[in-house]
Amino acid sequence: MLPFIEILATLAEGVAYTVWVTVVCSVTGVGVGLTVVALRKLEISSLTIFLDVFTYVFRAVPLLVMLFIVYFGFPSLGVKLSPLLAMVLSLGVIAGAYLGEVYRGALQAVDDHEILAAQSMGFNRWQILLLIEFPQMLRFSFPGMVNEFTTVLKYSPFAYTVGMPEITKQAMALTGVTNQGIEIYLAAGLLYFAIYRILLLALQAVENYWRIPGMKPL
Amino acid sequence: MIKIRSLVKDFDGHCVLNGVNLDVAAGDIKVVMGASGCGKSTLLRCLNRLLDVTSGSIHFMGNDITHKDTDVRQLRQQIGFVFQQFALYRHLSVLDNVTLALRKLRGLSRADANEKASFELEKLAMIDHRHKYPAQISGGQKQRVAIARALAMDPSMIVFDEPTSALDPIMSREVAALIRTLNEERVTILCVTHDVALGKVLSDNVVFLDRGEVKAEASFDYLCHDHPDAEVRAFFGRGESR
Ligand SMILES: Nc1ncnc2c1ncn2[C@@H]1O[C@H](COP(=O)(O)OP(=O)(O)OP(=O)(O)O)[C@@H](O)[C@H]1O
Ligand SMILES: [Mg+2]
Repeated sequence: MLPFIEILATLAEGVAYTVWVTVVCSVTGVGVGLTVVALRKLEISSLTIFLDVFTYVFRAVPLLVMLFIVYFGFPSLGVKLSPLLAMVLSLGVIAGAYLGEVYRGALQAVDDHEILAAQSMGFNRWQILLLIEFPQMLRFSFPGMVNEFTTVLKYSPFAYTVGMPEITKQAMALTGVTNQGIEIYLAAGLLYFAIYRILLLALQAVENYWRIPGMKPL
Repeated sequence: MIKIRSLVKDFDGHCVLNGVNLDVAAGDIKVVMGASGCGKSTLLRCLNRLLDVTSGSIHFMGNDITHKDTDVRQLRQQIGFVFQQFALYRHLSVLDNVTLALRKLRGLSRADANEKASFELEKLAMIDHRHKYPAQISGGQKQRVAIARALAMDPSMIVFDEPTSALDPIMSREVAALIRTLNEERVTILCVTHDVALGKVLSDNVVFLDRGEVKAEASFDYLCHDHPDAEVRAFFGRGESR
């Protein structure tokens, strides 16, 4: 019988991978999401249709299917990806599709009059996007972003299917040799919860720092 | 400074401005009044090319700015705009609202921009509020910041679109007095409004815009009492009872 603390210690070896996958996929999601809303701003109808299809597809197809296409399918095209890159191209891009929609909604909360004022002052549309719209949009979409990052954390165990030794993978390996499934998965759950709490605290600190003084949350 | 001739603007066949003529001389203040929907905002938007005119000409400092090769961004930097809804950038402090264009359009360093902005905010008695955010100041204060923001760019003229419509009467009077002071300091001003009280504070003369046409350019007294059209007398009569 392994003592609980030892189980925790063994699983903790996977924490760095879990955190790493979560952070990298979340950052990818933000990058993709921002790109999507920025491209929508171009108002080129064929591009908008492409973005709609992209958003639709990446929100509809299950993560595991996407991950397997990327990781097991791409090699047949001569593209061999690392587990992390495979996660980025599936989970990260899916997060981007969701975040693109979160941002689109938040962008609508930016006051048209401010944009009109900025145009009247002589700012071009990219300056308006970067100086007025994005800074406000990012603040308005904070709750949605936190939601998405949490989802990414909870989908991170799929990384084990492509051989990444994150928490769940460690737990499976340990169950194989100890037969203490309940304690082991309880410990895994505990670790995920701890990561979640720390992630949340960090995001709340950022949110407080960026909060617009005097403004009520939307 | 501004010479508008036979300006026509229609939206998909719906004619909003129908041959407007208007002059604003340098250092002058011109008040344009008219009922809601008569095309006041449309007129102003043609002036800084937020809208393209259908026909007619607008000369600004000698150049016809309706021409295709007009440097629109340059033009917009020369015409300060102040709106009814203040339109301050919500995520920026009072100070940064004023410095943003100085830094990003004029290329001033932060220190130089702050200095210039502080000068304007001082003038408008908003310097003590410079670190506050738009959500933390009153409507009248917001409008003063908006005016400081416009002034900071040293524009050739300032255009006001209903600057008092979102303010209570006391703040309206305050802002009206402020606009008048600006003009006394030789700032060229074009102000559109349906607030008769504001018009009266600003000028003895007023341009009356009705359904896209300049119906009259005359003194308040005349428009209120002697104009042949009863509707016009009624419109300007509203200001009497205040
Ligand atoms: N982009 C547009 N497309 C179509 N119609 C428009 C557009 N902008 C304005 N209009 C129409 O032009 C008319 C004049 O609008 P404008 O905003 O200039 O009026 P206004 O005199 O400023 O009114 P208010 O006092 O309410 O601000 C209105 O009937 C409006 O519906
Ligand atoms: Mg208007």
